Amino acid sequence: MLDLLPHILNGLTLGLLFALIALGFTLIVGVMEVINLAHGSLFALGAYFALSLLGGMWFGDTAFGAWWLRLSIETRYVAALFVGPALAAIAGMALELCLRPTYGKAPLYGLLLTFGAALVIEEIIRLGWGTGEQNLMVPASINGPVLVAGFIYSKYKFFAAGFSIVAIFAVWLFLEKTPYGAIIKAGAHDSEMVRALGYDLSKLRLMVFGFGAALAGLAGIIMVPIWGLRPHVGIDVVIPAFLIIVIGGIGSFWGALVAAIMVGLAVGITGAYAGAWATMSMYILLIIVVGFRSRGLFGRKSALEN
Amino acid sequence: MLQSKITRRGLLGATAAGTGLAAFAGPWKHNRVWAAASDKPIKIGITSDASGQYANSGASDRRGMMMAIDEVNERGGVLGRKVESIHIDTETVPATGSRVAERMITREECGFLVGAVHSGVANAISQVAQKYGVIYLNTNSSSPTEAGQNCHRTKFVWDGNGTNFAKAAVKNAIGSYGKKWMLLTNDYVWGHDTAKATKALLAQYGGEVMEEILIPQGTRDFSSALLRVQQQKPGVVSAAIGGDDQKAFRQQVAQLGMGASPAWINSQQDWPDVYGLPIDNLFGVFGTTWYYKLDLPGVADFVKKYQEKYPDTQMRVPGNVFYNGYMATRELLNAIERAGSANNIAVIKALEGHKMSAADRMQHHDAWIDASTHQVQQTIYLATANSKYSEQDKDDMFEIVANTAPDAVLDTAAAEACKLESYEETPAFDA
Amino acid sequence: MISLSDIPVRSRFQVYAPMAVMAAALSTAPWWLPAIGLYQYLGIEIAIWMIFALGFNLLFGYAGLHSFGHGAYLGIGAYAFGLFQQNVAVSLWGGLAAGILAAGLAGAIVGAFISHRRGIYYALLTIAFGQVFWFTSMKLYGVTGGEDGLLGIPRPPLTLFGLEYALRSNVALFYLAAFFLLATVLLMWRLVNSPFGRVLQAIRQNETRARFAGYEVWRFKWAAFVISAMFAGLAGGLFAMAQQSAYPDVMSLHQSGLIVMMVLVGGGLVSFWGPVLGVILYFVARDVLGGLTETWLLWYGMMFMAMVMLRPEGLAGMIHLGWKRLGGASEKPVILLAEKA
Repeated sequence: MLDLLPHILNGLTLGLLFALIALGFTLIVGVMEVINLAHGSLFALGAYFALSLLGGMWFGDTAFGAWWLRLSIETRYVAALFVGPALAAIAGMALELCLRPTYGKAPLYGLLLTFGAALVIEEIIRLGWGTGEQNLMVPASINGPVLVAGFIYSKYKFFAAGFSIVAIFAVWLFLEKTPYGAIIKAGAHDSEMVRALGYDLSKLRLMVFGFGAALAGLAGIIMVPIWGLRPHVGIDVVIPAFLIIVIGGIGSFWGALVAAIMVGLAVGITGAYAGAWATMSMYILLIIVVGFRSRGLFGRKSALEN
Repeated sequence: MLQSKITRRGLLGATAAGTGLAAFAGPWKHNRVWAAASDKPIKIGITSDASGQYANSGASDRRGMMMAIDEVNERGGVLGRKVESIHIDTETVPATGSRVAERMITREECGFLVGAVHSGVANAISQVAQKYGVIYLNTNSSSPTEAGQNCHRTKFVWDGNGTNFAKAAVKNAIGSYGKKWMLLTNDYVWGHDTAKATKALLAQYGGEVMEEILIPQGTRDFSSALLRVQQQKPGVVSAAIGGDDQKAFRQQVAQLGMGASPAWINSQQDWPDVYGLPIDNLFGVFGTTWYYKLDLPGVADFVKKYQEKYPDTQMRVPGNVFYNGYMATRELLNAIERAGSANNIAVIKALEGHKMSAADRMQHHDAWIDASTHQVQQTIYLATANSKYSEQDKDDMFEIVANTAPDAVLDTAAAEACKLESYEETPAFDA
Repeated sequence: MISLSDIPVRSRFQVYAPMAVMAAALSTAPWWLPAIGLYQYLGIEIAIWMIFALGFNLLFGYAGLHSFGHGAYLGIGAYAFGLFQQNVAVSLWGGLAAGILAAGLAGAIVGAFISHRRGIYYALLTIAFGQVFWFTSMKLYGVTGGEDGLLGIPRPPLTLFGLEYALRSNVALFYLAAFFLLATVLLMWRLVNSPFGRVLQAIRQNETRARFAGYEVWRFKWAAFVISAMFAGLAGGLFAMAQQSAYPDVMSLHQSGLIVMMVLVGGGLVSFWGPVLGVILYFVARDVLGGLTETWLLWYGMMFMAMVMLRPEGLAGMIHLGWKRLGGASEKPVILLAEKA
């Protein structure tokens, strides 16, 4: 049993990271009822933007560039944490504009459009940043090993897990405690009502999609120091995100969080004792949960079912 | 009722037309002989991946081939014929590999195919190549099955494989780091073959396998396996983890600072996969077939030639993938010259058993093309991260710690598994 | 936008003319393919993917069930064909039957699991099951050869009435695939215009209404899934013959997404012939673009996005509208149905 404890701790951090990955995805599904298959590409894009910003690649040999590179890595990193997602949000908004003709049609069209967008974004990354493996620097203060109860853990991973708690909480606060959140949630339930109340629905959608894309980009910046960065890194994101929202129930914020923790624990524990089944455990969990509860753990009826 | 009638008639018509046409078009050979009579260029089809998981290695591979082809053309070609090439992306997808190979042979009339990193793609191409008798150089796929159970008369394998690297590393590592080993094995064919070779050597030299953890392909988080390693406290961990998994794995071992202890034995590190990464991403001992700072004559010139030819490439120095692509293509063109003809069987015979001097290949030992498996038996280098690494010379990441002669690391299991098709079974033609 | 039932077929001519054109094109393909710069193997692959696409569209276009894991059944068919040749007997009919049955069986199991689901849950579960099959094929390397692939699958000769035809040449195999393609077209045509096909279309238009009309909807959904998986299995068996090997990659999510792309771009949602057009467009565009540029996926992806945005009815829909504008009018105005209805 004592042997198991480190793996439970590890599984929990893993779960929090999965939750971060799925956060933007579940928001867009919940509010816009669009399955955003480009989520992974936006994830990668955010990380690549951060990479360029950290290395000062955009500023070249200008005076600003020199000044920028003299700043401490911490400062640049924090800046990248804001700018990377902001740029990903712009890409996401552009994608939302492309999505407009598909509203009011079957959810399939949104899914297909974002599938195409995923291909396009990946190719653009390849052209812009090359095909090779890249490394996103992180400040030394959050990197390196840390000893917990005799075991070495990665400091960065705890940072990432902590960061994801903060991000999840911030999103929750935004949705629950701000008037914008109220409108977004209203939009999730009844877009007609939002319009009737005098809000601009198209602006709302633009914002939500941008927000979701920003969260994808943020997850990218946080995750790639663990996963490595390459143009097709986004492939690794979409499947876990999918599994999590299906297990948690489409449109449920807390469902996604609970599901992510469950997936993290399942992967972490099987990874230690039956390694070969670690990936499969996610699917088995899915089939068990959906076998008993067709809409997932906390799912409610959604327009996506039509 | 109507249904079945139409069906039967359709079938008869189709098969009749099929046989009729087969007679008309004739067997493949006839068309090819006609094509070869002219003094047309020798055409090489480059089948390297330009997208997908191995896009980056594929690009490096291709640069190597192009340099060899350009060199030969500067000298006036082969047998007085110019060498041409065409590249089509194989996408790291086997089905695409099959189609590209078919297109290159039947439509582009390539006489030779070169290039591969992914073993599935390599197998797909080599099956098509064998069907037409077209010589195929597998430059960079390092699965032991390539020159083992999946060997072909027309296929030549230029990279060292997992067994070669294990043989170079295991005996010494038991001596230095002890008998208690743990294996982290990617749960797919290459991983298992490499692990099997390691286990056999451990049994032979008195090592002990404490535990083997299977890592599913596509794993991005290795923390649970790494925790398990800490719980077991082995002396040595032998990791056979490949592809993108390896990249994530390296990153995570570095973060944990576990690179120094326990001792790690890794399989081959392809240069394009590590180039430009921080030095602490390299850990433990790993294999390679070539390094750009080998202290041998010719190496510096070779690097200079690379830099002059590819001034804009992000990768400033050539690595093992480039090297294999270059050497394979050069040896192929030399073999055509030696055979005095572009007849495929003659070229195959010129390649089989061919000895390549150490000086010529810029390695420490003479190499040869094994006639029974078609694998190039070559020097295997063991390397670690460069202990004298400096920010001034970011390219110099490896430190070569040992070189092993090819006969010490022969993959005997592959030789037993390999059954080459006979010359008669291989369609003959002149390229 | 227009939907499948809105392009009415009125005359026998409209039914048989495209089929006759197709049969003519197929039977002469080995002569004209090289002339236009293509090659025989591409012809085989196109024919095989057309079978796959037509079967897929029964589910996708007619029943409105969006499967995103259909590559799995193609892969299962390919493995079953190969394993049959290697472990049971070298036989064309046996292998193809094994491919069809194995894919049908897998489809039956998955179908039983998902046929009570609707909309996006349906799509998500098809993805999950597709991934399970893909993952399993990688993991059972003892049986499937893992990422190395199942190699050395023979092309067994065609035996018919005691006669034997070798299929080693690509031309011969092309004719076999073309024959199966024509058979698929005929079968599919009968199927979608049968009462069964009409129920499927009713389910697409409104599942609840179909249920209230007294149909056991899930049985129809299940049957559509199984049938379409069986056609995928047939295509997979032929694909294993063409490649003389089978690999797990066709089962991946990415490859499963491609069939959806092809069918949609071709206009599978509005026309019986959509999948056929989509497959031609995809393979030819890819072969031509792929020879010209390494970033062909960028261009194809952008074309696809533009298509979804501007012309979601696909190539077939564009042809139909163009035809109508030219005066070859159908009497009924095209109803701009919201697909959601």
